[in-house]
Amino acid sequence: MLGKKTRNIGTFALGLVLAIAVYLIPGMTGIADAKEAFAEQVFAEEAFAKEVLAEEAVEGEGEPEIEWGQDVFYKDWEGNPLKGPVSGYPAPELGPEDYNNYEFAPSRIILWVANQQHLYFGSFVLAVPIFCMLIEFIGIRVREEDPVMSGKYDRLAKDLMKVSLTAYSWTAILGGILLFTFITLFPGFFKYMAGIFRPVMHVYALMFLAESGVLYVYYYGWDKMNDDPFLKWVHCSLSVLLNLIGTVLMYLANSWATFMQAPGGIDSEGRFLGNIWHVIHSTLWNPVGVHRILGNIVFGGGIVGAYAAYHYLTAKNEEERAHYDWVCYVAMFICIFGLIPLPFAGYWLMKEVYAFRQQMGITLMGGIMAWLFIIQAVMIGLLFFAANSYLHNGMARVKGSHRYMKYCKYMVLLLICCFTMWMTPHTIVMTPAELKAMGGAQHPIVGHFGVMSAKNTAVNLMITTTILCFLLYQRANKKITVPWATVGNCWIAAIFVGAAANIIFLGVYGYALPANQRVGLSVPQVTTTLTTLFAGTAINISMFKNSESYGDIQWGTQSKVGTYAIFLLAISFTWLMGLMGYIRSAVRLFWHVTEVVRDNSVDAYTLTIGEAGKMLTFNTLFVWTQFVVVFWVGSLTGKSPVKTPVAVPVPAQQQQ
Amino acid sequence: MNKTLVSFLVFVVGLAVFHNAIFPIFTPKEVGWFLNRYVYFLLFVAYLIITHFILRLKPPISMMGLFVWGIGFYFYKFVLYPPIPWTLFITYMVMWSIGTFLYISQDPETFREFRKPIVKAIVGEYKLAQIVLMIAMPILVGWATYQSIYPSFQEPVELRTVHPAPPATTKVHGKTYPLESTNNPFRVDEQDNYKDSFPFLDADKHEYMKYVTEGGTIFFQNCHFCHGDQLNGLGMFSHVFNPTPANFIDPGTIAMLQEAFIFWRVSKGGPGLPNESTPWSSAMPPWEEHLKTEEIWKVILFEYWYTGWHPRTFGTEGSEG
Repeated sequence: MLGKKTRNIGTFALGLVLAIAVYLIPGMTGIADAKEAFAEQVFAEEAFAKEVLAEEAVEGEGEPEIEWGQDVFYKDWEGNPLKGPVSGYPAPELGPEDYNNYEFAPSRIILWVANQQHLYFGSFVLAVPIFCMLIEFIGIRVREEDPVMSGKYDRLAKDLMKVSLTAYSWTAILGGILLFTFITLFPGFFKYMAGIFRPVMHVYALMFLAESGVLYVYYYGWDKMNDDPFLKWVHCSLSVLLNLIGTVLMYLANSWATFMQAPGGIDSEGRFLGNIWHVIHSTLWNPVGVHRILGNIVFGGGIVGAYAAYHYLTAKNEEERAHYDWVCYVAMFICIFGLIPLPFAGYWLMKEVYAFRQQMGITLMGGIMAWLFIIQAVMIGLLFFAANSYLHNGMARVKGSHRYMKYCKYMVLLLICCFTMWMTPHTIVMTPAELKAMGGAQHPIVGHFGVMSAKNTAVNLMITTTILCFLLYQRANKKITVPWATVGNCWIAAIFVGAAANIIFLGVYGYALPANQRVGLSVPQVTTTLTTLFAGTAINISMFKNSESYGDIQWGTQSKVGTYAIFLLAISFTWLMGLMGYIRSAVRLFWHVTEVVRDNSVDAYTLTIGEAGKMLTFNTLFVWTQFVVVFWVGSLTGKSPVKTPVAVPVPAQQQQ
Repeated sequence: MNKTLVSFLVFVVGLAVFHNAIFPIFTPKEVGWFLNRYVYFLLFVAYLIITHFILRLKPPISMMGLFVWGIGFYFYKFVLYPPIPWTLFITYMVMWSIGTFLYISQDPETFREFRKPIVKAIVGEYKLAQIVLMIAMPILVGWATYQSIYPSFQEPVELRTVHPAPPATTKVHGKTYPLESTNNPFRVDEQDNYKDSFPFLDADKHEYMKYVTEGGTIFFQNCHFCHGDQLNGLGMFSHVFNPTPANFIDPGTIAMLQEAFIFWRVSKGGPGLPNESTPWSSAMPPWEEHLKTEEIWKVILFEYWYTGWHPRTFGTEGSEG
């Protein structure tokens, strides 16, 4: 049904959807699994308890020796705390002897830097294999029809993997530094964590070994497995295995952080209750996992895009410019694809945080962290601006795009209006004179934008606008010839107009509902937005059948503004990742493990916004300096030979 | 006549006429559905578009950018009312400026065209513009520096934590209440179901309305001096406080909080605020020293009844609504 080139991008999109679906399934089924787990747990524990009591009765020893503790999080079907056999020591009350420090910087700051750098690199090395898997898969799929394109895809995947290989070693080194930082500066806390997560840490180390093995076979076997079609599929399968192991690694490491924030599987004294799955699978595990995967994709896309953008701006010949322009396009496609569902995963995470402790949710959204969330809103707005700016400028190099370029300014206007709504704080910083002039703490007009009804509406409209922009980009050089073109266009228009109307209606309706019901409105709003994505894209691509082309995309002619937008996106996202990581971690306030292990160090304070901002900027600059070094090291081995004839790839926009 | 100049005159003269002659008509004391400042603004924008369309004026993109930016500035500075605080104005203008940049840079062609006069002014092709720029820029920087260091007698602005995180429990009159699970006793029915619906709409709920009335009486004896007789935070003493008393009508105050949270805040007042919110960020007295526990709950009941908001609930256990 689709044209040859359309299938490339269609396959690409399908692959991305499937990849995300695979990651989402565990999260979606998590509740059902958890309920089953509760039931099994209750039955198993009751049976176990009876068995133990029976044995002890037979032995005539009287009182049972096994002590049972009540879980701080898990509950049975009747809502009572789940009981488990106490299998560990209570959480220590940490004193000065449990903390070490250097003179030059507070321990917490050192740990923050070590942790953040490791996370940045870990995020990158987990994202790149996802790209390589998809890009190699597309390369294999188009091999027979278009060897030139296939060669390009293959070369790109291998080049990315080469950089990832260097970054992988770097990540491991940073992980080692992080581990030593924990052991040396926070020995008391680390001893407790190691006591709880002992088996997980060993499995983690073994998984790291497996990841390394598969990674080396995958990269060093690339050329040897390239020619034989069967071996090429085996090679591609290795990338799937690599991603699976990588995901498990990330989820295992996530469990330590989510346990610290929202513990489960222990009693109120911090004693392990014998079920390691409960400790791993605490309430925030799944949302954090999904949020991080999507974040990794955007982050990885941003870095690869920035790398390509740098080479594009410094290219010495047309061929090189065309190649890196195309790489920018692929990276941005992946990046935007991850960016669209990312806010929804964030909402899921926040919902779970509120469900765990209302107090924690209020601290985040209305309390001491609220101003950081305002900064987050600004950064997210910048990301959407950068993505749309890239698309607008990218459209300009496509012949036939003049038909749609005239709509760009209206989309920009809509984005700005939504962004204004999105980041208007509920409580405004003002002087007493301004307060008097305003007549109260809330502005009668813009004050209404401070609540979630307005925010949800704004962000959904921003995403919908970005989707529309992408659809126009897709069809920029196509002359639609299908007989149902008018009907198709009407459908697309109806979907987007209907979606906008529905999102706005739900947003306004939310003001008339109680807060707990209003929160539920975000679900139909998100569904509406996703409908525009899936239905709009499906109809749009279907209309490309037998379409005529206005001309090729002129690769290598991307404007500088569009290219700089990629840098803006990459740097903003790096800073944003650091910010949200800090917020997630700092919301524990004076706890190492919430309500279980108290942080009694001298660093147990919340940084001012300015100090936190400086640290985030330092971390961003530091990691980008390292990325420059890593990319430079990666380039020392020279470029992969291209076996196919040199030609500029023809992307989706030119498909017939 | 140069069409660019005509376009510029249409904007500047039009703005002057609209602002001085038409704006006062649209800002009467009694604001109506048509006679209001926002309709006026739309009329002004419509005037600009229609005039340019009829006269077939196509100003260069640099001037279009200037118009767009100017319209945003005009709206936020003069049209939006009451005037927004300076911090918000700066934020909005930064966003509007970004939007203007996106508008002029949406296409490499328009961006090239936009840059052209700037580059020409810098390199000296537009000699007069260069001289004006070189004189105006230092003056502008000097003026901004003067403004920023000129002594001001206003209180410094402060980032305030509006909804401080509540403690897990609070002790009032010798009894400890866990905030996550405490409900208003006057909302719990015979079957121990928490009623967050509108039971007062039922004419038979005499007992419920009795508590609401008692709560109202307590409110008007103690609270309305600051929180206002319409519960909008504009009581007779409200203007002497910074921050001003909470506005219960606003959807961002009691509407998004659990009753237990309000109970904690009313009982402990300003002195009971956690460090993150700083104890001096509220002048409210700890009402546990003046009211009985049930009186506090009755006041809370009244506040929700009067404003029509529902108390925030999490989960469905034990609640009915």
